[in-house]
Amino acid sequence: MKTNQSISNLIKEHSTLFILIIPLLVVAIAAQFASSMVFQRIVTTLFINLILVLGLQVFMGNSGILSFSHIGFMGIGAYASVLFSMSPQAKMAALPDLYPILQTVQLPFVMALLIGALIAALVGAVLGYPLMRLSDAAAVITMFGMLVIIHVVLVHWSEVTNGPRTLFGVDHLTTLWTAVIFGILAIVLAYWFRESSLGLKLRASRDDRYAAGSIGINIVIVRWMGFILSAFIAGFAGGLWAHFITSFSPSAFYLAETFTILAMLVVGGTGSVTGAVVGTVAVTLAREGLRALENGINSSGAVSIEVFGLTEVALSVFLILVLILRPGGIFGSHEIQWGKKQMLPVEENSSGNGQ
Amino acid sequence: MFTLDFVINAISLGSLYAIIALGLVIVYGILKLVNYAYGELIMIAGYMLFLLGSAGVSPWIILGISAVFAATLVSYLTELVAFRPVRTKSMTAILVTSFAMSTLLQNLVLLFVSPRSRAVPLPALFSKSVNILGSDVSMRNILTIVISLTLLGALSLLMKRTILGIALRAAAENFTMTRMLGVPANMVISVAFILSGFLAGVVALFWVGRSASVTPTIGTAPLLIAFVACVIGGMNSLTGAVVGGYIYGIIFSLLSLFLPQSLLDYRDAFMFAIVILILLFKPEGLVKGGYVPERVG
Amino acid sequence: MLVLNKIHARYGAITALRGISLKVEEGELVALIGVNGAGKSTTLSTIAGVLKPVQGEIQFQGQSLVGKSPEQIIRLGIAMVPEGRDIFPSLTVEENLRLGAYTRNNRMEYKQDLDEMFELFPILGKRMNQPGGTLSGGEQQQLAIARALMSHPKLLMLDEPSLGLAPALVDQIFELVVNLHNRGVTILLVEQNVERTLDIADRAYLMRTGKIEDEGTPQHLRERVDIEGVYLGDHTPNKA
Repeated sequence: MKTNQSISNLIKEHSTLFILIIPLLVVAIAAQFASSMVFQRIVTTLFINLILVLGLQVFMGNSGILSFSHIGFMGIGAYASVLFSMSPQAKMAALPDLYPILQTVQLPFVMALLIGALIAALVGAVLGYPLMRLSDAAAVITMFGMLVIIHVVLVHWSEVTNGPRTLFGVDHLTTLWTAVIFGILAIVLAYWFRESSLGLKLRASRDDRYAAGSIGINIVIVRWMGFILSAFIAGFAGGLWAHFITSFSPSAFYLAETFTILAMLVVGGTGSVTGAVVGTVAVTLAREGLRALENGINSSGAVSIEVFGLTEVALSVFLILVLILRPGGIFGSHEIQWGKKQMLPVEENSSGNGQ
Repeated sequence: MFTLDFVINAISLGSLYAIIALGLVIVYGILKLVNYAYGELIMIAGYMLFLLGSAGVSPWIILGISAVFAATLVSYLTELVAFRPVRTKSMTAILVTSFAMSTLLQNLVLLFVSPRSRAVPLPALFSKSVNILGSDVSMRNILTIVISLTLLGALSLLMKRTILGIALRAAAENFTMTRMLGVPANMVISVAFILSGFLAGVVALFWVGRSASVTPTIGTAPLLIAFVACVIGGMNSLTGAVVGGYIYGIIFSLLSLFLPQSLLDYRDAFMFAIVILILLFKPEGLVKGGYVPERVG
Repeated sequence: MLVLNKIHARYGAITALRGISLKVEEGELVALIGVNGAGKSTTLSTIAGVLKPVQGEIQFQGQSLVGKSPEQIIRLGIAMVPEGRDIFPSLTVEENLRLGAYTRNNRMEYKQDLDEMFELFPILGKRMNQPGGTLSGGEQQQLAIARALMSHPKLLMLDEPSLGLAPALVDQIFELVVNLHNRGVTILLVEQNVERTLDIADRAYLMRTGKIEDEGTPQHLRERVDIEGVYLGDHTPNKA
């Protein structure tokens, strides 16, 4: 009796997790049994995007800093994991100038993913530490700068990335259920982080820098920890994605993709895990729908010109509308919970501009 | 090695970079907003040149004026439609809006024109060169310098002598106090965006003048340059941005001369690493008289 | 001239004003006194339109101020000199004053006003082309007040003009306020320096934690201060 009660209490307390995960599992199961390859592809992409956006939420949602460099770590994870998962023969074909040490290494899939993520986290730790001391405009520019730096390195370090050209020959190791399982793990991880003392400290430093400092929170360290975790998750997502798409180039990890994940997080609500999940689902659905529309228009020949960019136009307009009308996103900073009245998103603190 | 042509080229590049930086900092100084869509204003001007050119409009001066006008108008409209409603919300919301606007503008052009590079007509004057002191100097470079200096002079007069300029400078220092003296907030901000758009338009004329073509992503490179130049010179000072632009332009010209291509590829990464270092150790920039952004640790 | 009726105002989640009611008649010098954090500055900010009240009414010469922007409020004739002076450091003295006259549209008048300011504040005349940031604290305070006067305000609000100034300068400032009052300028003065303020005010309100705790003549409030033995942040020793 007592165990039953404590389990039901546990479920009630963390109802957010169940409310988020169960419907997603249902979708995954539907995809498994659906005969449509397209549907499976969409769902797999959805879960990979989810991991990526959750990684963004972990840092950006809790620290309040616009994390522009996130996709860069996805790229690092993608390339790093591929270096360790590809067979030596495949590497010889795809990366002829690769260093001998890396040439011969081959590791199992999950290990390669982990190493990719760890390398991303390491780069994040090293590059990110000095930036944690900055705020406002300086933080924004340096984050952006980090993305540029990573991008330039990826484009020009040909030995390792095949330069600006596409990298071929990656094994398709990411299955639907790989993505689903890690997606669910990511939700749990992001949720745990948010509720942990580290997450609380980070949010405290976001809401009031001075108060947080005065009660002994080391803002730099707290931000740094969040950033490293965020980079790790992004790197992991990158590895998963690389082994799903099987060929990619550095251009996949730059501004256009940054826009997409920002849109996913902001639309759903930057401050909560629920927001990240809802936003990702909403935007993924919208994009697939729009892309189908785009293809439909192009192949039907209804319009004489080819329609490219319609998806992005619609998404950016939608994002701007959300920011104007409901800047907290659909869910804002509050997690969806069982039994609690859903509160409207709180408008974040204005910085005083134009007040 | 240091021929007159090289020197003029370096100064020309510096002048161009100075104007690029100025366009960004004018909005930043007042709104504390890093306008990611700034690069796209340059792109829009470039596409205006292409569109009018393919429609057979001539002479070129009409194309040029229309291009600058287009950039100015789009800048004004983006503020009115997107930034004004978001102005009172959080800084993150404003930044994401500017990034969304950048994506929107790029993709509108992609959608309605073409994703492929398009040729842009240039005035005949650009390809001429003039022989000065025994060296062949490109007219385009000379024009860049002359026009940039004229613009800088005009802006300087605007800022120092007119009440509008005084109001703009005051708004950059203390926006609320400026409003309390009766200066309308909306007007000041609109003017800043108009000036920013105008400068972007002029930049476009010379930027596409280097490659004679335009693509939807042509705005990214100038945006990066603007960031670097502004940080070097100090984010909150108009003079700083100009000086930063000149420094960056001249350093880049020198580096292009001495460094091998393989290293030059990493230029952007290198410059941003410097940017990051400056923001860490001397956030007010290398030029005196700027505002110091807050440091936490 | 100015009437506040049950004004409630908030800074984010903190309620700063809880039902403030006060009035200022034309030609009066009214003071708001109280310790740090009592809500005196918040009251001025609310009148000036920088802060929007969540409840209550503000009337100025028959017009409601609630919901109006700062730009509109100065045009109605209320000028504020904020705490900390808030002059524009990189603008010259003259440019600061020029901006003060933004709401006036008369070149002739501007020249006259400028001369008048330099008469009232000779030091500003001397430093006319120097950046505001190079002026001393006392000079900046004078500049801030002169700038406010350039708009020909019907009501002048001063927020802690003596804050951070050396005693000799404090004298100067208070003399100036009296001077302005004698010239007929209606003044709402916020101060922590209770002694000097009660010396010059026609009436005063005592604020504490967002409420008006007492009001009346300086005489009345002086007795109250003595009885309560509360120094209200005044650093000069009690006369008793």
